[in-house]
Amino acid sequence: MELQPIFIQILALALFAIGILVAITRRNIIFVLMGVELALNAVNLSFVGFAKTLPAELSVAGQIVPLFSIAIAAAEACVGFAMVILIFRNRESIDADSYSNMRG
Amino acid sequence: MLALIYFIILAVIALGAAVCVLLSRHPLYGALSLITTMVALAGIYGLLGSPFLGVVQIMVYAGAIMMLVTFVIMVLNGARDSKTPMFDKVSLFILPSVIVLAGLVGFALVRAPLAFDTTALRGSVALTSKTLFDVAQTGPGYFILFEILGLLLLSAMVAAVLMAKKRLGSIETENTEDNH
Repeated sequence: MELQPIFIQILALALFAIGILVAITRRNIIFVLMGVELALNAVNLSFVGFAKTLPAELSVAGQIVPLFSIAIAAAEACVGFAMVILIFRNRESIDADSYSNMRG
Repeated sequence: MLALIYFIILAVIALGAAVCVLLSRHPLYGALSLITTMVALAGIYGLLGSPFLGVVQIMVYAGAIMMLVTFVIMVLNGARDSKTPMFDKVSLFILPSVIVLAGLVGFALVRAPLAFDTTALRGSVALTSKTLFDVAQTGPGYFILFEILGLLLLSAMVAAVLMAKKRLGSIETENTEDNH
């Protein structure tokens, strides 16, 4: 039995689900950001897995776009952790529920 | 056959480390598990024939982003906030909904006809650089995106520095502005 593209997609789906689960269920704000990173990683894997099912010239785009996605994840992590540091100074807590002063 | 064995090993490492991220209590252990996941994913990229992407994954994700995460964990010293519970009651409702979402998407994926194309190009350094910096008018135009990405990273860096500064427009900063 050879490696099938569907295995890669299933792995990406499982990683994405775990990432979403971490981002939504964990109370610690650092884990929330790490869950978002995990979900972004899974999407990159899905991109590459689909790119390998396309013929010659079409398969290039799926291997270039993850580069941009990785760079955007870097920018997101940069701003996200700056905000965490900023709010941590005011609240002295990393519980996501204590960051609720903007609720409606 | 060999590719499948390598893939299964790397996939088990990635999934196990991802579950460790979900279940670990200390943020630093979570960050280490996340790094393990990312290195395993880089191995899968190499296995699939995108070695450049695998190296970028290790350098940018496992190197730069996780360094930032570890740095922030150490600056905040979040470990002393160990009274915060890991999960709350809402988690009980999120778990089945995420499983149902994954099941639905997985059902759609399994039904889709997918097969590896043997003519798919290998994402080597030469191919990636040739595509990325193709400035010909008929080319894909990725270089414009590349420039915009540089601007985005610069603005993100400036925003991070401005936000993490102690206090904007405080007396000390106004005084230093008057001095020069």
